[in-house]
Amino acid sequence: MQLFLEQFPIVVRSLNVGFLQTLKLFCVTLIGALPLGLVIAFGSMSRIKPLSIFTRIIVWIVRGSPLMIQLLIIFYFPGIVLHKTVWGGGEAGRFAAASTAFIINYACYFSEIYRGGIQSVPVGQEEAGLVLGMTKPQIFFHVKLSQVIKRIVPPMSNEIITLVKDTSLARIIALQEIIWAGQAFMKSSQGISGAIWPLFFTGVYYLACNGLLTLLFGWVERKLGYYKV
Amino acid sequence: MKRIVALMIALMLCLCMAALAEDSDMAYVKANGKLVVGITDFAPMDYKDESGEWIGFDADMAKAFAESLGVDVEFIEIDWDNKIMELDNKSIDVVWNGMTLTDDVKAAMECSNAYANNAQVVIVPADVADQYQTAESIAELNIAVENGSAGEEVVSALGYTITEVATQADALMEVAAGTSDAAVIDSLMAAAMVGEGTGYANLTYTVGLNSEEYGAGFRKGSDLAAALNDFMKAAWDDGTMSTIAETYGVQAAIIAQ
Repeated sequence: MQLFLEQFPIVVRSLNVGFLQTLKLFCVTLIGALPLGLVIAFGSMSRIKPLSIFTRIIVWIVRGSPLMIQLLIIFYFPGIVLHKTVWGGGEAGRFAAASTAFIINYACYFSEIYRGGIQSVPVGQEEAGLVLGMTKPQIFFHVKLSQVIKRIVPPMSNEIITLVKDTSLARIIALQEIIWAGQAFMKSSQGISGAIWPLFFTGVYYLACNGLLTLLFGWVERKLGYYKV
Repeated sequence: MKRIVALMIALMLCLCMAALAEDSDMAYVKANGKLVVGITDFAPMDYKDESGEWIGFDADMAKAFAESLGVDVEFIEIDWDNKIMELDNKSIDVVWNGMTLTDDVKAAMECSNAYANNAQVVIVPADVADQYQTAESIAELNIAVENGSAGEEVVSALGYTITEVATQADALMEVAAGTSDAAVIDSLMAAAMVGEGTGYANLTYTVGLNSEEYGAGFRKGSDLAAALNDFMKAAWDDGTMSTIAETYGVQAAIIAQ
């Protein structure tokens, strides 16, 4: 117990640093993937056949292969095969590579959720808009979008909560997020060696973060509950 | 379509040519202005002091070597499994972290001369340690080893049952949790990590299965390995290597250059 009380502040400080990195990756991924997903959704719904086929193949590749392998390929492929590393070896380079992999991966998942949301709006509404003389963009932004947002909140919250936990995959390219920080104490770090509990304790951070997100999404859903579709 | 393919092939050829025309590794590091050292948190070879600076026998030697080249030194924590990829990717220039010179390592990297002795030792729960004092006595046990480590090589050669895990620390955890009967890890690490006053107070190490040597590894074909050998020779002759070794209590393990 004495030992635990001595270790606790050191471990928490180190886990906080790791969790900050986790949150940074989480936020950057959302900021990048939310708009990119919409672009990809429009690509896969495009009436230009080659574009929609191309986009769907990309979505198939990205959703069909493990994110861990995508991370390894994005970080190591340029340096090993092209002999020209684009990332640099430092913390910043690893973060940039991880962000790129996560943004591409999550944008593809988001795009399918967007597509489902957009295509779930009855075609009659678009026809009604056209009859009233509205343009296509007007119909999208003024008629469809608010309904789409309302419908995609539950599946989006699913993906976003998964994202919090998926950030731990970035440790494969030695991005020092919270799992990495917890594992460091299993070997030896800052005078603590062979401690397993810090790794288990990282679960508390994920739980707390996802608890907050669950509350947030519940609140968003209630806010959007102003009309029934 | 054909034109795009042709263009891509042309581009790849250009990149390959550029790669072939590259200068020596020494010139690359000097032009870069820094030697990037790939490490893991591994006391007493590479670990952080209270201010967060990397110290340890290997870290101090790396700093001195970089200084002799006239470049800065940068330490980067890597995933040990990916050390060869990290070298080829040029995200690091050298792996310098108490690395055992196995045949696999020598085949994949340009290695320096050996600079420290090490052994692979058996880790068992302290209360049953009496029964496992010889290499033969652990034959029936389920033994956890780090994937691709020197420990795995030794135990596999003996033909014993192994469980491969990601790191040596995971191997210890297997024994502590009772999911494996024993583990085989580096003696330098075992001395620091099991027994009284550590997180694994109820584990202990018994018999050494082999003796082996530590070295640093550079990219295949790098001229930096020879430069490091010259540097270590000079550092041995003027006593700096012994001084650094004494700072970290590893003088008994150091090999004369």
